[in-house]
Amino acid sequence: MNLTGLQPEMIRSELTEIVGDSYVSTDDSDRLVYSTDWFWLPQMWLDRGEVPRKPDYIVRPKNAEEVSAILKIANSYRIPVIPWGGGSGSQGGALPVFGGIILDTKRMNRILEIDEKSLTVTAEAGINGKQLEWAVNEKGLMLPHYPASANCATLGGYLAPRGTGTISNKYGKAEDLVLRMQVVLPDGHILRTPIVPQHASGPDFYRLFLGAEGTFGVITEATMQLDYLPECRLLRAVLFDDLTNALEAGRQIMTRRLDPFVIRLYDPRSTASRVKKILGYELEGAYMVLGFDGDEEIAILQERKAMEIIGQFGAQDLGREPGEAWWNHRYDFYYPPQSLKLPWMYGTTETVTTYDKIEKLYFAEKKAVEEGYKEWDVDFIGHFSHWFHWGVMVYTRFIIQNPPDDAREAVRLHNRIWNTAMTAVLENGGMVNEHHGVGLKLSRFMRRQYGDAWPLLERIKKTLDPNGIMNPGKVGFGH
Amino acid sequence: MCRHVAPVGHVTHNESVTPHGIALVASMQRQGTLTWTPSALQVLYAEPDGGNCRAHCVTDQPLPAAIAAIRAEVAAEGLAPSEVSQVNDQILSNQSIFGSYKPTSVQGEWGLFVGDAGFNLSSSTMQAALQLLSICGIEAVPVGCGLDSGFIPCSLGYPDTARMQAKLCIDEIQRVGVKKLLVLSPQDLFAFGQMYEERLGVTWPDEVVLIDLVEFMADRVQAEHYKGAISTEKTNDFIAYVDPTHAVRLPARLDAARTLCKVALGVAPMELFWRRERAHPVGSTAIQFTRPDIGIKLTESRIQDAMDQGAQALLCDDPATLHELHLRNQSPMRVQGLYELLIEQLGKK
Ligand SMILES: Cc1cc2nc3c(=O)[nH]c(=O)nc-3n(C[C@H](O)[C@H](O)[C@H](O)COP(=O)(O)OP(=O)(O)OC[C@H]3O[C@@H](n4cnc5c(N)ncnc54)[C@H](O)[C@@H]3O)c2cc1C
Repeated sequence: MNLTGLQPEMIRSELTEIVGDSYVSTDDSDRLVYSTDWFWLPQMWLDRGEVPRKPDYIVRPKNAEEVSAILKIANSYRIPVIPWGGGSGSQGGALPVFGGIILDTKRMNRILEIDEKSLTVTAEAGINGKQLEWAVNEKGLMLPHYPASANCATLGGYLAPRGTGTISNKYGKAEDLVLRMQVVLPDGHILRTPIVPQHASGPDFYRLFLGAEGTFGVITEATMQLDYLPECRLLRAVLFDDLTNALEAGRQIMTRRLDPFVIRLYDPRSTASRVKKILGYELEGAYMVLGFDGDEEIAILQERKAMEIIGQFGAQDLGREPGEAWWNHRYDFYYPPQSLKLPWMYGTTETVTTYDKIEKLYFAEKKAVEEGYKEWDVDFIGHFSHWFHWGVMVYTRFIIQNPPDDAREAVRLHNRIWNTAMTAVLENGGMVNEHHGVGLKLSRFMRRQYGDAWPLLERIKKTLDPNGIMNPGKVGFGH
Repeated sequence: MCRHVAPVGHVTHNESVTPHGIALVASMQRQGTLTWTPSALQVLYAEPDGGNCRAHCVTDQPLPAAIAAIRAEVAAEGLAPSEVSQVNDQILSNQSIFGSYKPTSVQGEWGLFVGDAGFNLSSSTMQAALQLLSICGIEAVPVGCGLDSGFIPCSLGYPDTARMQAKLCIDEIQRVGVKKLLVLSPQDLFAFGQMYEERLGVTWPDEVVLIDLVEFMADRVQAEHYKGAISTEKTNDFIAYVDPTHAVRLPARLDAARTLCKVALGVAPMELFWRRERAHPVGSTAIQFTRPDIGIKLTESRIQDAMDQGAQALLCDDPATLHELHLRNQSPMRVQGLYELLIEQLGKK
């Protein structure tokens, strides 16, 4: 997007009319800050002294009406609009790859209602996740979506890429917790989805906005399901000799509906490296953390039943302390000084599939990456952390400690590894992503993922956003 | 990653003025991808140095200190905006930013460090504190009257000025012979107990024990020093306590302040949303000089927080915080000093 002559100032003045001067920025420093989210590529690019594409404007609307007016202007000038929540996405979903307007939602941060009878909260989409959690905690409630990024992510950012939190096994993904949304469509039309999601009054069109990552419109408000803060949380850790037994034990716990709020299973490589580094346990095998919560009597019973299953697979019970230590330090895995950091190259290729395929998929991806990039001394680690009745997510990571110094070469190597990993995932029945979303990073794999169904998504996009203004270049659209 | 508690981010909704944004701007400047333009400098001076980001740091990076160090580089290159360098000039000539410094020559084992705001902005707090101490048999010598402890110049990137202020503080305390130093303001207590060592390499004298006045008073009331002296009448008003700027840096004071409030009110105070470990500052840090627009928003947002909870009065013990609240409060809600209220309650008996 190249704005020239009078045009940039015209647009600025129109945006200022809507939101006020202090909520439109074209400052260079602001534009630079909004040029990168948590995706490795732009971060590396900046780290090596290069400048990614910057937005032309950063705009902070205060409500759906202002969002609507901004989208109308963007349509008339045909400029991209990129919704931005906390900018904590790791897929480049909030990057202004073609410039345009960053629509920062954080000014829309009010809690509109906490319904203690139906156990719901209605809040504006730009509210910070942790602040929302604190507010419902004051009433003895919780929003049971606990991503490691709650400190910086927003409610809209939870929903737009279909995020998953630590306690999803029992409580569901962010998308399972939403009852209702207010959305501003690309043409500026403001709509509310029906009051409840479960009904038989027509198709579930609200789901279109979950996973669209801002390409179908802007989520401005959501009503979310709450739960009571649990009376107890029982955690313990066990150690399996191998991954096969551990996966089967996890499958049985889930399919017998023992309702653990967490099962986190580290592969032997992660157990030996990450678990050792962060929790300090020197263990050989596959480390699994199990958690049950809620009513204490029920949780104790569920845990006992789960431990019976675990026992059948010869796992060693490590007791409560290592489980509780993991819970207390669960976010340390993702933050400095323990997290992966530049100049290293790394990527999280998390995927999900059914139980019958998951093990084969994991080993296929591992082999492809390890063998394909041996000369780079690639490390491949993984854990299985979001378990469903039918399958499980595997969170795999590749790490290269000495990537090319040259930024362009680094981009090429990075993308080659992703091609390898995604090919293995897709060939083995996996989804390109389970919870971080598609963003820019995985955009190019969407056609392969969807095959015959892709044109349908393209048609929906074309109908909703004929000018292609909403977050172009993401989720497979706008290439 | 401390955005959930970043007060400036909260009032501006702008990514660039969170510690994360400021760190990014600073590192881009180091890389040569950004120069210190006026707008970039606006970002650099938008951090209030109130301690929130450090208190909640998941990355364990001492970011406020790093920001102060970058500001020092900017100042050394003569790039600091004039409103920033003027603050430094004023401290260099007056040792005080809010008025004047009055050194004391009285001798005493107990001292009350009054500081700049306590002396020049909210002297009723100082008077009430001295009176309360006197009631429990402590005749504390007011020291550092009108003297900046070094926090403001250090935070703004003038470590040499800050070291000079530190020397003045320590010299006066030693000259007076103070062995037990009660500190009125959390900002000064943070400066003496943490900032001197961490950011300035100044060692606090071993022989002088630092005591937070709030904690000391809470101990005394619990030790029944005031038993029978304070009116036990319970207030019917909705009165909230606002944790002062820097409170998150001094976790021991959080309960102590509430103990005192309970004595003064007869009931526990109402709590604000941004309280205790997540307490937000008012604009009483150096930000009031560098980005007054943000400073005002911070104070207004504390007032709004209290109004949202339905408070009729807002209590605080810190002179600088009280001054800011008084200045910006346009609501029917009263702003009241905690020590002043305690004295009032004593008077009622
Ligand atoms: C340390 C770390 C840990 C993480 N852990 C987790 C985790 O445990 N689970 C998890 O799911 N994710 C995790 N993530 C990824 C990321 O934090 C989440 O996807 C998060 O929910 C994104 O929220 P955000 O507000 O920061 O969104 P952003 O990064 O700002 O945006 C993400 C995408 O959503 C779009 N978007 C944002 N708001 C809206 C809106 N209101 N309407 C329409 N589109 C919108 C953006 O355009 C972009 O495409 C982690 C990231 C980091 C850095």
